[in-house]
Amino acid sequence: MSNINGKVYAMNAITPMKPWKTLVVKAFFLLLRLVKPLQKDLINLSFIEFARWVVIPRSRFPYVGQGQVKDEMKYDYLLFFSNFNGTWNQYIDAFADVLGSKLNLIWRWSEKFPGSNPVTGFKEYIARVQFDTDYYFTAYPQATANDLKSAHIVQASLDDLVQRARSCSPAEFSTAYLNFVIQVQGHLGETGEAPIVF
Amino acid sequence: MPNQNGSVFGLTILSPIIDDEKATPSHDLQIRKYLATLPTGPESPFAQAPGTHLARLVVMDDVVFVGYPAIEEHLQSKYLVFETNCDADLDEYLSGLAKAVPDHLDAIWSHCVGYPGVANSGAFIEYMKACQLETTLFFAAVNDKSVPVTLRALQTQRAVTDFIADHQGMEPARLQKEFLEFVGKLESEPVPKPGTMGPQRALKTGGRNE
Repeated sequence: MSNINGKVYAMNAITPMKPWKTLVVKAFFLLLRLVKPLQKDLINLSFIEFARWVVIPRSRFPYVGQGQVKDEMKYDYLLFFSNFNGTWNQYIDAFADVLGSKLNLIWRWSEKFPGSNPVTGFKEYIARVQFDTDYYFTAYPQATANDLKSAHIVQASLDDLVQRARSCSPAEFSTAYLNFVIQVQGHLGETGEAPIVF
Repeated sequence: MPNQNGSVFGLTILSPIIDDEKATPSHDLQIRKYLATLPTGPESPFAQAPGTHLARLVVMDDVVFVGYPAIEEHLQSKYLVFETNCDADLDEYLSGLAKAVPDHLDAIWSHCVGYPGVANSGAFIEYMKACQLETTLFFAAVNDKSVPVTLRALQTQRAVTDFIADHQGMEPARLQKEFLEFVGKLESEPVPKPGTMGPQRALKTGGRNE
């Protein structure tokens, strides 16, 4: 079991929903997908690299025949997979603080969901519906979501400077280099081993 | 298309695990045992095949009973969950996996019902798609950069940090010359392998917490 690789934590959760409520959840997800500004809080949280919700209708668990007994459930199920930086407690706290109302709109249709506030009940619920990861890979274990965003900013700024450096005078380069340093100075944090947090 | 966000694809696959009471240990345990020995760094199968940002494999034993008055129910099969965030086209990604790490795929999925093996690439892709679930909402913090582009950017970020620290207050002509040499060297370096931690850096001491 390995929920953690480098600076990323893999969370899996599954919650049951009455089938009629699935329609409401799907409509909300469609809205979130089409109206990108509604994802602003998720983007601003800035410690989620990738996350997804998957609704499995009660009779749509994958069925391949060949002796498999088909799953016919009474509930639809909502699967949630997240790849985030930091500890489980930090994540749930921030998730509940920043996204509280939106989380309620997503999970309030799941059975026994207590709401994201107070956070103690929310944490108990997540702990109950979470299941552990057996194998977890990341192509860049040394980096957080913010490191990735910063690295791309540094790369783009460097590419611009390289174009100019090949054809300008030393004095012009000096000015351009100074501007480059000002541009990237907030994006040069070191990547590497994750800090140990208890 | 809900499975895709920008150029990143969110693939979710649930493959039913063989339920054979005569198997010892059971197939789900055999998968878990194999996964426990699989390297997670640059030797990982997902590092050897192209296009994986992050991926996980999970044995899902059952659905969760959240307590009364909810109804308690159970799955007929255990499922192997494969969740991956990968570059571009799904067929290309799956055939890339099949070409690069066929032995690992067979060792893991041979415990799943109906798995045809990777020897027949078409049947393998068809099987994976039959077990695929459509993602309802897929979020990606960075959705327009491939794995190699990201690894290159992280390498650049580290190198630029060092260059700036080492070239403070330098005379412009020399700075320009050394900058162009630095860029040439950086561009000639290979893209780091996926799954590597990057170079070990000396610990900085003397911070205010010490």
